[in-house]
Amino acid sequence: MDALLATLVSGLVLGSLYALMSSSLSLVWTTLGVFNFSHGALMMIGAFVAWTVSEVLGLGPIVGILSGTLAAGLIGIVIERLLVRPFYNNRNMLLITAMTTLAAMVILERGAQMIWGARLKQLPRLIPGEVQILGTTISAHEALLIVLAPLILVALWRFTVMTNRGRSLRAVGQNQDSAALLGIDVPVAFALAFGISAALAGLTGALLGSIRFITPTMGSEPLTKAMIVVIFGGLGNLGATAGAAYLIGFIEAFLILGLGLYWTPFMLFLLMILVLLSRPNGVFGGK
Amino acid sequence: MANKPQFLAILALFAALAVVPLFVTDSYVRHLFIIAFVYAVIASNWNLSLGHCGVFNFGHLTFFGIGVYTAAIASKTFGVNPWIAMLLGGGTAALSALLLAAPVARLKGIYVVLVTFAFTQLVLQLVLSQSQITGGAEGMVRLPFLELGSYSFLKDFKFGYYYVGLVLLALSCLFLAFVSNSSFGKSLKAVRDAEDYAAARGISVARQRILALTLSAIFTGIAGGFYAIYLRVASPEVFGFGTLSLALSMVLIGGVNTVFGPVLAALVLTFATEAMAGLQGFEDARFIVIAVAMILVLRLAPEGLVEFLGKLRLPASTART
Repeated sequence: MDALLATLVSGLVLGSLYALMSSSLSLVWTTLGVFNFSHGALMMIGAFVAWTVSEVLGLGPIVGILSGTLAAGLIGIVIERLLVRPFYNNRNMLLITAMTTLAAMVILERGAQMIWGARLKQLPRLIPGEVQILGTTISAHEALLIVLAPLILVALWRFTVMTNRGRSLRAVGQNQDSAALLGIDVPVAFALAFGISAALAGLTGALLGSIRFITPTMGSEPLTKAMIVVIFGGLGNLGATAGAAYLIGFIEAFLILGLGLYWTPFMLFLLMILVLLSRPNGVFGGK
Repeated sequence: MANKPQFLAILALFAALAVVPLFVTDSYVRHLFIIAFVYAVIASNWNLSLGHCGVFNFGHLTFFGIGVYTAAIASKTFGVNPWIAMLLGGGTAALSALLLAAPVARLKGIYVVLVTFAFTQLVLQLVLSQSQITGGAEGMVRLPFLELGSYSFLKDFKFGYYYVGLVLLALSCLFLAFVSNSSFGKSLKAVRDAEDYAAARGISVARQRILALTLSAIFTGIAGGFYAIYLRVASPEVFGFGTLSLALSMVLIGGVNTVFGPVLAALVLTFATEAMAGLQGFEDARFIVIAVAMILVLRLAPEGLVEFLGKLRLPASTART
């Protein structure tokens, strides 16, 4: 029973992480129709900037996390401007932007390697101490992640439903031409979607920087997991993506319990390919 | 495609490459040529599915990696002759491509990218988890080396390996030129450029995609086998983002519409990255330079540099291929 509860809690932590990563990845996909391969690298930038501001400049973890979020968001806007926007009217835009964002990932990862070096870094925990959930002890910082993730997801959802700016993103995602006819500034909407998505990735990275080590390649594993999630949830629906994120988190935790750490990633990818074969638009996907 | 001046230029290139070892005796420069040949095989075969058929295949390096591990396991664990082990790599790579192609042929757009990419991860995780067979994260070392009669290829500063690599590249180029000029190759371009029309003319889109992926894996897998036997190492690094983006930049910079563009790009880029690796502070920066070059080519000359430069020089004779 204890093992079961512990697995549930660790699934919840993983699910929160995947929910943050995949919902921001899916925001760019729904608005621009671009799959951003540099999403994991943006997360890594958030963690490194947070570490630099908090530890090197000594401004504390809160300022650090905010700076990391902001820095990742700004880089996201630059990536959209330089690497995605020039290809909007291209017939092969989908493939080309997959390649240019892959190039952006290489540039960010190698750049981080040059700036921050290979030495392992870690942020201090935002809240020290430990918390008991369902009889399982986890660090208070992980508990914070569990609480923050749904709050951020709800905020993102309310933003796209309630505010005009947020609605404009969905309008552009559904039909660019008619959105433009309604007076929506399409390029601004694209930059906004990319910026918010990148900032969320940066925030995720800064929060993860207290749980895992900060390295130039720390983003690739969460990115591949976010890929599995969006395939499960189907790209294009925030609620389905978030649901799938928690589902994958629990599946992963139980696979680790049942099969061990080695077989789990293999089983996840196999599951994903099988899902795509039977439901090409995702388990919860419509369209 | 195969107009006369181009054909002569290619012949001249291979003739020049064939006499290089007579003048270049330095073992390190020969090593760079061999690595360039391997990358040229990877990039030009990748182009068959990505460029000629328009399949958004992000898993091409998996075929290479499967070739690497097939040759390593066959030669070291089962004691198969390394020559045969290399060829076996082509067989297993083609088989895995067939397995991958079956689902991929039914999918569209971004899902093709995701599944082919996930396939790489799947194979990588399999390699990492089966460490008693594959050596796990450390890989396999001290693989058997090539011998011909009593001649060991370890002698003469890689002289023998150079020619094995060159012959492999030449055979792969002949194979690709044959495929892309055949009616099958033309039907691939039809599928890429006008899928509905191609289907209406009786071309099975799914079948052509499956065939293109499988054919593109054969020489890629053999190159993987050669790479493993030559370096005497098999390491999971071959599945990484680094190899993927380097090979991708060769395809794009060389030009997705040609057979020989990626070959030229592989030769040039291998030497360029190695030259940069020698510069102070460029160990990581060289990958940034390559990535930036790839982006610039996509923005300024999407048909690839080879075709782009050809247009600059011969504005009159640019018949569309």
